[in-house]
Amino acid sequence: MLWLQLLVNGLETGCALGVVAISFSLVYATTKIFHVAHAGIYTMGGYLAWWLVTHGAPSAVALLLAVAACTVGGAMIQSQIYARLERRRATHLVILIASLGTLAVMQNIIAAVFTPNILQFPIPWAANVMALGGEVRLTWAQMLTIAVSLAAYAGVMWFAHYTILGKRIRAVASNPFLAQITRLQPQSVYVIVVAIASAIVALPGVLVPLDLGLQPYGGITPLLTATIAMIAGGVGSITGAFALSIVIAELQNLSLLVMPGEWSIGITFFIFVIFMLFRPTGLFAAR
Amino acid sequence: MDFWFSYITLAEIYVLLGLSTNLLVGIVGIFSVSQAAVFGVGAYIVAYFLMAAEPMSFLPALGIAAVGCILLNVLVTLPSLRVSGDYFVVTSFGIQLLATAVFTNWTAGTGGANGLPGIPPPDLFHHPLESTGQLTLLCTAGAVLGCLAFFLIMRAPFGRLLRAIREDELAVAAAGKNVLRAKVSAAALAGAFAGVAGGLYATFLSFIDPSSFDLDASILLLTMVVVGGARTLAGSIIGPFLLLALPQILTLLDIPTTIAAAMRQLLYGMLLILFMMFRPQGLAGERL
Repeated sequence: MLWLQLLVNGLETGCALGVVAISFSLVYATTKIFHVAHAGIYTMGGYLAWWLVTHGAPSAVALLLAVAACTVGGAMIQSQIYARLERRRATHLVILIASLGTLAVMQNIIAAVFTPNILQFPIPWAANVMALGGEVRLTWAQMLTIAVSLAAYAGVMWFAHYTILGKRIRAVASNPFLAQITRLQPQSVYVIVVAIASAIVALPGVLVPLDLGLQPYGGITPLLTATIAMIAGGVGSITGAFALSIVIAELQNLSLLVMPGEWSIGITFFIFVIFMLFRPTGLFAAR
Repeated sequence: MDFWFSYITLAEIYVLLGLSTNLLVGIVGIFSVSQAAVFGVGAYIVAYFLMAAEPMSFLPALGIAAVGCILLNVLVTLPSLRVSGDYFVVTSFGIQLLATAVFTNWTAGTGGANGLPGIPPPDLFHHPLESTGQLTLLCTAGAVLGCLAFFLIMRAPFGRLLRAIREDELAVAAAGKNVLRAKVSAAALAGAFAGVAGGLYATFLSFIDPSSFDLDASILLLTMVVVGGARTLAGSIIGPFLLLALPQILTLLDIPTTIAAAMRQLLYGMLLILFMMFRPQGLAGERL
C-alpha cells in the first residue's frame, strides 16, 4: 500500500509544483525573462504568513496578506529592476544576473531576520489527518493545497482565455512589437503579469510549508523543478506545465521506493536531460 | 605574515576560477551558476588520488582532475546549448544542486557534510611543498600560467571567434563557423581552469567540505567577475582580490556570527544588482 500513499503524496506536491510552474510560465512566456527571483517571492510569501500567524493573525488573513505582499514585491522587481534594465537595452544575460542578485538579496534578508533554521507553522489543524480508506492518509494542509492548486489552475486558464486583460497578455506574449504599435503597452502588461504570477506563487509558497516547514533557501529546488516541468510541457502551455509538474512529482515520489529522498533532484534532472535530447520543444508545444 | 600569504594564495586560486567564469559568462555570454560545482569536482578528484592507498603525486592527480572537469563540462553543455541559452540556465542550476547533493550525501566518496580532512600537501617531482611560502609560489605559478593561457587564447583566432559569437551568433554561423563546437570548447576550457583551481584549493587548505562548492559559492564567483569586470584579464584578477578582502572588512562591523554568512551573501546579491544597473562593465571590464 506504500506506493498508493506515495502516489497520493505525489499528486499533492505535483499540484503545488504545478502552480509554481504556471506562474513562472506566465512570466517567461510574456516577458522572456528567466525570472530566477521568483523563488525569492515564493519563499517570502511563506515567511510573511508565518510571521503574521505567530503574531496572532487568523490563518486566512495571513494567507491573503502574504498574497498581497508578494503581488507588490513582484511588481516592484519588474518595474524597478527589469524595466529599468530593459530601457538601457541591457542584454538577456545582464537581466538574468540582476535576477539572480535579487534572489540572493531576498533569501539572505530572510535568513538574517528569521535565522537559516527550519521553521514550523504553529497551526495545529493543518496536521490533522484524514484517512482516505486503507492506509492512505492526507493531512488537512495537503488537501487544502490540492484544492487551492486546482482552483488556481482553473482560474489562470479562465483568466487567460476569457478576460480582456488575459487576451491582452497573450497578445503581448505572442508579438511584443505588434502590441507596442497597437498601443497595448507591453511594459505595463509586463508589470501586471509579474504581479499576477507573484500573487499566484504565494499560494503554494504559504501552503506547502504548512506541511514541510520553511527554509530561507527552500525556494530554489521547487523553482528548478517547475521550470523543468514548464520546458517539458512546452513553453507557453499552461496545461502542459501543470500536467508535467504532476508527472515529475509522481516520479520523484515513486523513486522513493528504490532510493533515498536526497537523490530526487537527480530524477528531476534526468527527466530534463531526456527531454532535451529527444523532445526539446516539450510535449504540449504551442505551434 | 601567514595571513597575507594565505590571503594571496586563496585569491590566486580564485583568479583561476574567475578566469573560468569569465570565459563562459563574459566572453561567450553563457549564464552559469555551476562553476563552483566543477571547482568541487576538481577538488574531490585531487583529494581522492592524493589520499588513495597508493598516493599519486600531485601533478598527475591535477591532470586527471582537469580532464575530469573538461569531460563534465562538455557533457553538461552539449545537450543544452544545442537547444537554447535558457535551457543552459536550467542545466547549470540543476548541475549545481545535483553536485551539492552528491558532495553532501555520498559519504563513502566525499566524507559527506563533514568533509574530507587531512589532504596531504602537494609535491612537485617528489619534493613535498609544506611551508605556506612554497604553496603560495605554486599557486602563483598556477595563476600566472592561467592568465598567460587566457591572454594568448583571447588573442588567437579562437578567442576572436568566441567574442564574435557573443556579439552576433547568427552572423558567425552564416560565416561558416561551427558555433556549437566553439561554445562547447570554451566550456571545456573553463572546466580545465576550474579543475586545476579545485586541486590547488584542496591541497592548500588540506580540508574540503560541500559548503565551499555550493550555489552560494557559484554566486560569489559570478560576483567576482561582475565586480572586477567581464571579458578582460584585469577584471578576473581584480574581482577575486577585492571580494576576498570584503569579508575581512565585514568582520570589523559588529555582526553576530549566526547571520554573518547571510550578510555576506546579501552583500554579493546587492553588488550583482547594483553593478548590473549602474556599471555593467564592472571596474575594469567591457560591457556585458
